Amino acid sequence: MQRSIIHELEKLVGKSGVLSSAEDLLLYEYDGSVEEARPDVIVFPRRKQDVVEIVKLANRYDVSIVGRGAGTGLSGGALARQGGIVLAFSRMNHILEIDAENQRAVVEPGVVNLDLSRAAEKYGLYFAPDPSSQKSCTIGGNVSENSGGPHTLAYGVTSNHVTGLELVLPDGEVVQVGGRTMETPGYDLTGLVIGSEGTFALVTEITVRLLRLSEDVRTLLAIYDSLEDATDSVVDITAHGIIPAACEMLDGWTLRAVEAYVHAGFPLDSAAVLLMEVEGVRESVEAQAAEIIEVCGRHHAREVRRARDARERALLWKGRKEAFGAVGRVSPSYYVLDGVIPRTKLTPTLLRIEEIAKRYSLVIGNIFHAGDGNLHPLILFDHRDPDQFRRARAAGSDIMQLCVEMGGTLTGEHGVGMEKNELMPLMFNEGDLDLMRKVRAAFNPVGRLNPGKVLPLGKGCGETRLQPFPVSASGNA
Amino acid sequence: MSQVAVSLGSRLGDLVGTGHVVSDPTSLAVYEVDGRCPSAALLPGSAAEIAEILRFASAEHLAVIPVGGKTHLHIGMPPQRYILALDLSRLNRILAYEPRDLTLGVEPGMACADLDRSLREKGQFLPLSAPFAKRATLGGIVAAGSDSPLRYAHGTARDFLLGVEFVTGEGVVSKSGGRVVKNVTGYDLHKLLIGSLGTLAVITRLNLRTFPLPPSQRMFVAAFADSSSAFAFCRAISKSQLQPRVVDVLDGGAAGLFAGRGGAGFLPRDSSLVVVEAAGHEAVLERHARDLAAMSREAHAVEFIALDDAQREQLFGCLCEFSPIAFSTTSAATFFRIAALTSTMPTLLLKAQKLAERHALDCAILVRALGVVYVALLPPPSSKSYPALLGCSRELLNLCVASGAIPMIERCPLELKNMLSVWPPAGTEQEIATRLKGVFDPQNILSPGRFRGCI
Repeated sequence: MQRSIIHELEKLVGKSGVLSSAEDLLLYEYDGSVEEARPDVIVFPRRKQDVVEIVKLANRYDVSIVGRGAGTGLSGGALARQGGIVLAFSRMNHILEIDAENQRAVVEPGVVNLDLSRAAEKYGLYFAPDPSSQKSCTIGGNVSENSGGPHTLAYGVTSNHVTGLELVLPDGEVVQVGGRTMETPGYDLTGLVIGSEGTFALVTEITVRLLRLSEDVRTLLAIYDSLEDATDSVVDITAHGIIPAACEMLDGWTLRAVEAYVHAGFPLDSAAVLLMEVEGVRESVEAQAAEIIEVCGRHHAREVRRARDARERALLWKGRKEAFGAVGRVSPSYYVLDGVIPRTKLTPTLLRIEEIAKRYSLVIGNIFHAGDGNLHPLILFDHRDPDQFRRARAAGSDIMQLCVEMGGTLTGEHGVGMEKNELMPLMFNEGDLDLMRKVRAAFNPVGRLNPGKVLPLGKGCGETRLQPFPVSASGNA
Repeated sequence: MSQVAVSLGSRLGDLVGTGHVVSDPTSLAVYEVDGRCPSAALLPGSAAEIAEILRFASAEHLAVIPVGGKTHLHIGMPPQRYILALDLSRLNRILAYEPRDLTLGVEPGMACADLDRSLREKGQFLPLSAPFAKRATLGGIVAAGSDSPLRYAHGTARDFLLGVEFVTGEGVVSKSGGRVVKNVTGYDLHKLLIGSLGTLAVITRLNLRTFPLPPSQRMFVAAFADSSSAFAFCRAISKSQLQPRVVDVLDGGAAGLFAGRGGAGFLPRDSSLVVVEAAGHEAVLERHARDLAAMSREAHAVEFIALDDAQREQLFGCLCEFSPIAFSTTSAATFFRIAALTSTMPTLLLKAQKLAERHALDCAILVRALGVVYVALLPPPSSKSYPALLGCSRELLNLCVASGAIPMIERCPLELKNMLSVWPPAGTEQEIATRLKGVFDPQNILSPGRFRGCI
């Protein structure tokens, strides 16, 4: 990269707003995934106009731009795959307004997810999407990835909670899509941009819907001697007309790793635990908890514990939300997958994942949002051993293929990024992908923003040999 | 019939079979859109046939309007061109339904009422209780962007449409989203199709999330002397811990329509009404009954009633069918859909009522889910009322813009459409919207000119 662009960036945002030394760049070649890509420069805008000017500069120098929040993403979405500028939003982190009466907040993209809920708490409100990384991930990142979290089973993902966005297009033009109101006539560009993984536009302002905090909550931990009983319980709870606010499962291997670190009280000899939560008006919560306990009992749960107070609830959730950290203690590296299957296919899918683990001689733990069939297999490997890394990636690819075969999808909440873009033909044929390319080009015609993400690269960059599953063969809806 | 028409008819017959082409003018009258009738209507039986038709139409530059139950063709500006109606009523099957996964795959021409019956057999429902329930189709409702009284708890199709299969204007069969309840793979093109009035693509399959029927539900009506008290009650509800699934507000005009034409004669007259429905176990319903009664007293309600099951069904039907009930009063009914923030609604409502009064127009207002205001101006069915209607409509549009609300006119006499745009003025997003139209429908054959920004 030319030195002059760095000088110009420094002129725009000040020297403290630009990083370009080798050691600084090293820190930005990672996110939460197993991918790596080094940028040429990192710039920290403070306001929308800075973003506009940076984009214009990038056009003049013909370099690419990758937006970045906290870098907690799990698919390489915030990595500069082709070098260029990483535009880090961490200094655009202001909550611009909380409109309690209309249950809206207007935020800059660098606002940390949990900070918004904390700020809204005094009004009895919160922001529903709650990724496990919510203590550090940003709302701009959530918008890019259309993030979910454990509680999205009942409340939906980011797109269900955003009403409007301010965008800076790759030519520097500022565009408002959606607004504060519940709907806006015209094409739902807000819905389209959310989850586009930074390949359409840079988001500089977000209007979100806030929900009222529930009056009461019951957190239950069901303990099983058989994985199948646990998955059957999940299906049966839904069949009883109960949609828990959250329904998470940890398999035996994972719960033992977590217990050693968090001491959440998971029994070490169990095959699986289900962590479930019901929320709402007091009367409904009690009735639903009783029904869930009954269903779990019918499926041979060894025990169903209730969190007695906020401390116990927090501890159980700590066990879930810090599970990845716990796994980090027992393995030099791990590869977190993200696939979705119909929840009725949980048992056969988990059995097949076990076979895949054996085939590649790897340990694979399972922790997932069982209620919506969103799997997060954790593949353990040692990154210093190239063969293990190769096997981990191959196993990951097989598991993704399995999810699609089961009638599911490649990603439920982590995004495609540069991790799965070459797997996209498993779900979409060339015509589908071509249409997506054209839609991207309507926003980002020369690929200035986040190149090399979401869609398979062209033939010159390594053609994929994966074949799509025919629509009729990909299982039931 | 001219030679050109005969030749076109024969080509179309090749595409879908001669039994599935309608070309006689009398039968084509039902496909009229804003005074324009097509030259032919086609009833394809598969996505492949739709693709063939659109490839042909694209090559021949023939404008096509996809048609479902023909219940929402009044939305939008008059089409610039209209040669073929693409009637999707033969695509009316449930393709996949796995109740234990709460997911459903359905063809677009399936009538909402038929689908509702099938889901109820399995103890489930889809929160898309749209107007014109007997005729409306799933594809039509999604393409028209309709909402339902259940919006307060369940949102709109945007919140439970998991994916779609569709055919673009060029005749390319494509898809977006998936069939599972959670998915972020690829771009959410299906979100674009919701409310797009068939201007981008023809939907051939919808994948939807279904919901378990609640064990029971109860509906309550609180009557207030004025709308500001009604909104005070609504504010109290939204600040409370209650979780109702319906919160709709009716002005005296809407209440009168429901009591008369809607058959809900039990509704209090000459009041602003707030209709609330709760669902769940008996204890939950009791709690709502207790707390709502107390809150309504604090907001100075003149009456608070818990409806019995028959009344509940009647009123729920009225809430769904507000637009058809309003349209049935006069052929000149002019129907606004206004997106607004709750805080602006009391003033907006009062001003809208005063405007109608000043222009000597009957008026009925329903506020849906504290987010959308439906205003029906109901003049006598004579063109003599058009000047007042036009004046009032213009002032109402200006009023909305001044209060930060976003209005559109869902229905009005054609003469008015020619004098004012039914869509709000284009914003900064227009250029992108136009480019997207070009991506999906480069020959501009799908519903040309009906959409916002002359798309």
